[in-house]
Formats: sequence, structure tokens, C-alpha cells
Amino acid sequence: MGSLSRAYGRPLASLIAGIAVAWILVLILVPLGAMVEQSLWWREAKGDISLTIDRLYNDISLIELDRSSETDPAKQAAFDQSLTEKQAEIATLEAQEKDPPKTYGLANFTRMSGLHFYIFVRTIFYALLVTALALVVCYPVAYVVALASGPRKAIILMVALIVPYAINELLRVYAWLMILDYRGVINGVLQWMGFINLDAREWIPFLENPSAVFLAMIYTYVLFMVFPMVNTLETLDRNQIEAARDLGASTFRIHRRVIIPHAKPGIAVGCIMTFMLSAGSYSVPAIMTRGQGGDWFSQLVYRQFYESNNWNMGSAYAVSLLVVCTAFILLMMRLFGVGLRDIAK
Amino acid sequence: MSTATESAGARLVLNIYIGLFVLYLFLPLAVMSAAAFNSFDYPSVTQWHGFTLKWFVALAHDQRLLQGLVNSVLVALGVIAVSIPAGLSGALILTRLGQRSGTMLYSVLVSPVLTPGIILGISSLIFWREFGVPGGLFVAVMAQSSFIASYAMLLFLARLQRQDRTLEEAALDLGASHTLVFRRITLPFLAPTCFTAAVVAFLQSFENYNTTVFAIGGEWTLVTEIASRLRFGLSPVINVVGVIFVALTLVAAIAYVVLKKKPKA
Repeated sequence: MGSLSRAYGRPLASLIAGIAVAWILVLILVPLGAMVEQSLWWREAKGDISLTIDRLYNDISLIELDRSSETDPAKQAAFDQSLTEKQAEIATLEAQEKDPPKTYGLANFTRMSGLHFYIFVRTIFYALLVTALALVVCYPVAYVVALASGPRKAIILMVALIVPYAINELLRVYAWLMILDYRGVINGVLQWMGFINLDAREWIPFLENPSAVFLAMIYTYVLFMVFPMVNTLETLDRNQIEAARDLGASTFRIHRRVIIPHAKPGIAVGCIMTFMLSAGSYSVPAIMTRGQGGDWFSQLVYRQFYESNNWNMGSAYAVSLLVVCTAFILLMMRLFGVGLRDIAK
Repeated sequence: MSTATESAGARLVLNIYIGLFVLYLFLPLAVMSAAAFNSFDYPSVTQWHGFTLKWFVALAHDQRLLQGLVNSVLVALGVIAVSIPAGLSGALILTRLGQRSGTMLYSVLVSPVLTPGIILGISSLIFWREFGVPGGLFVAVMAQSSFIASYAMLLFLARLQRQDRTLEEAALDLGASHTLVFRRITLPFLAPTCFTAAVVAFLQSFENYNTTVFAIGGEWTLVTEIASRLRFGLSPVINVVGVIFVALTLVAAIAYVVLKKKPKA
């Protein structure tokens, strides 16, 4: 704070600090805390409460019946007494039934059903697979683009990559939906070749296969792998490659000992972005399955919020996803020996 | 195309590979764009029923999509209003902090970029419900700003690293007030970045789906409306939206290339 007010003066410095603190608290930390808090409690809806209430109502009707046939005022007063007691009991129980008390604990995490846990693990596995495949596919692309000779070719290549990257992710998924749909491009071509007959509903249901989501996912996020790698490879001194070659290193060895070590930060960033985006993607699975299938964990989270209306469970799911993503980021940073400052370039 | 260090054969293989990769990127977009001009009412390129522009007309009459466009613009403007001051403040603080205390703050401010979008949407939704604000355009602005402000901050930080501080110090020595220095030296220096950051923020906000879909509640933006349409089957009207997006992006890219070349020549 001292250096800040020396640099910008007292009033300006406090304004700047105020905005930054508001950003951190209102937009980042407190919402995150609210989500974690929400995931740690639930309302115990006890089935036996409604049963007890029903029983009490029965008792009341019985007492009222007895009271109406009673003539002794002393006994009538006793009945009235027990009636008010029972009614008070009902009132408290009904309040509890309507607004069950909060209970804190980890049950939202441990209560995840077997199927949901399976989908969770499968989502993580698929996201890792998307990341690995994207890395393999993109490495040669990044290599060529980064070391392209002639600025003109480099610009053309960059534009060829940036244009699809800049087009809305939803529309890119939509394009694949068109290709793989029942009456889509592939089935259309198959019909034209005489293999199937669309009018007889003889199509191949590509969309019902989970790999449709996987395919579209790679297409959508592959470019998030290219750009970080291009950025680091562009700084590689080409003389290093030539020197290695002059000294007799094979192409494989040059890549393994010179180029890949140099590209490390880019590879780490690309992997982190691709994994994070695909593990948390809602758009791709939601569109590819038309909101029907539940192949991806993000869809389960969405349903907890907007269909089951169970925000506590939904938050627990979201926190689980966040924990896995954070662990992945930390692991990649350690594996590749890069800091946070290298990542956010 | 590649370095001179490769053999001709290797270069050929690499070039074919890049060609296939670019084809892989563009072919689906081409298919999507072409279907917008097919008069068949299912978006298709294999069943061609003749060229038409009627889907463009249909889009112009689609009230929900047009309202979605308005909402998207409103949200994007809100995001700019929140994330530019936030990102600028964060960057100004970080450039003046020491390496040690800076790293901690830096981690917090960058963390939204590395957080899955749906998490940002969910946490904002829960946070604002505490204040009685249900999901809607406002919550969408807040949720998107949390990470777009980080992008803006990174842009400002990069610019501030190239700043010559002696200019500010000289002005202060000559008796200018801090506010005057900030207004006359620091802000003009940062003005181009303000513009870039606003453009980036607008695009990021406009295209965002994963965060918005959780924060938007019962309202809708162009993108969330398109997504919910796709549930009920495909319509060439969506292809028209796609064509417009592709065309705008191409124009912007070509303009960028042309503008970038000029100063060099």
C-alpha cells in the first residue's frame, strides 16, 4: 500500500486498491466460498415427521369426538388442554417439515450415486484423452507454424488457425451435429453411395455413441493447444536445431533434446487449458446429445441446479470438479517445472 | 514452408499434414455455411433443394433471437464496464508490488482464467441468490467479469512492463499532482490497451456459453438461445447465424492482415 500511494498519490491509490479488493471479494473469493459452503450442508427431510404429523391429526379428531360427547365441564377442560398441546406440537413439526434444519457435513460428497461417480471418472478420463490427443495432433502444427520461413506464410497460417478459433464454440459444435446427425452429411453420403436408405429410417445413429461428444470436443478445443505451443516455439533460436543437426543428431533426437524441452511451458499451458475446458465443458455434450444424454459430468451438475433443484448436491459436484482441475494444474506445473507467471501469458 | 533444416521429403509430409489440419478445421464450417442457403427445411448439404435466402428473412423476423442479440450486447457492455476498471486496478497494483507479495495476489487474480467456466457461473449464481438476486443478465455480467477481468489485467500488465517510469517521476518532480500525472501520462499510455481489452472483453462475453448458461436463469443471450433451440432439432436459421459469424470473423481477419502489413511496406 505504501509503494502504491507513493506512485499514484493517496486518493488514487485508495480508489485503485478499492476496485481491486472489490473484484477479489465480490467476483472471486466470496462466490467461491459461498459455493463451497453450499456444498457442505443439506436439509434433512425426515419421512417420519410427516408420519408423526398424520398421527397427531388423528389424535385430535379422536379427542374432538370424545369431547363432543362429554358433558362434565372439568373433563371438557382437560380435553381442551390436550387439544391445544397437540396443535402446538403439530405447528412446530410442520414448520420443521417445511423448513428442515441445516445439517453440516460431507454427505453431499459421499452420497454421490455409483452411476454419477462412474460418469465423473469417465469425464476425467475422456478429458485426459482429449488433452493427450490434442497434444499429439497439435505438436507438428505448432512446430511448422512457429518455425515457418517468411513472415507472409506465418501470417497466412496464423489467420487460418485464428479464424476457426474465433468462431463461436457453439457453432463449431453445431457443425459437427450437422455432420453426424441422422440425416447428416455422413449418412447423406452413405445414402448417395447406396449403403443406406434415409427414407426407410435406415441411418447410422452416430449421435447415440458417446464418441460423438468426444469427437466434437477435440474439434472444439484443439486450438487451445496450438497457440500456447506456437508462442513458446517462436522464441526458439533456429541455430540450435541446425547446430544439433550438424553435430549428427537424428530428427527424433533433435525434437526430444532441443525442441520439446524448449516448448515445455507451452505444452504445459496447452494441456492445462485443454483439460480444464474439456472437463468442464457443458456446451459440447449438451448440444451433441440434445440435452438428452448424460454422458458428461457437467450435465449432471446442470441438472442438479435446474432440474432436481438440489443446489447443495450440485455445489458438491461442482467443487469435486474444481478440485480435480486444480490438482491437474498443480501436477502439470510440477511436472513441467513452470510457474503461474509462465502460464498466464 | 518449414525450416530449411528438413529434408524435402519431411517437408512434404509436414505440408500435407498442415493442409489436412486446416481442412479439418474449415470443412465443418463450410458445410454449416452452405446449408444456410439450401431451401430444404432441414439443414443439409446432401439433400439440395435449391438456393434460397429465405432463412435470412426468417432470422430477421425471429423475435427471440433478436432479443437474445440485444441481451448479449447489454451483457457484453456490462462486462466491459466492470472488467476494464478491475483489470486495470489489478495490473497497476501488481506492477508496484514486490515479487513476493505480488505472486500471491497474482495467483488469486489469475485463478478465474484457469477455473472451468461452469464453476464461475455456479458460484456467482449462489452468491447473488444470498442477496435475493436471481439468475439473469446481471448475474451473467458478474460471472463473466470474474474471468474476463483477469484477461484484461494480463493485457494491461504486458503494456505496463514496457512503460518508462522516469516520465512519471519527472512530472512528479516538476510539481504535477498524482492525479494529473495519472490522467496526462499513465492513462494516455494505457489508452490503446484499454481499447484492445474492451474488444477482447466484448468478444469473450458475446461468445461465452459455459459460464452464462448457469448464471442466466430464465433470461437468455443469443448464444444460450441458440443452444436451447438445438434441443428441439436443427433449423437452417441457426446456420444463418453461423454464416454471419463466419463472415464477420473472416472480414475481421482479412482487415487485420491488411492493416498489419501496411506499416512494414
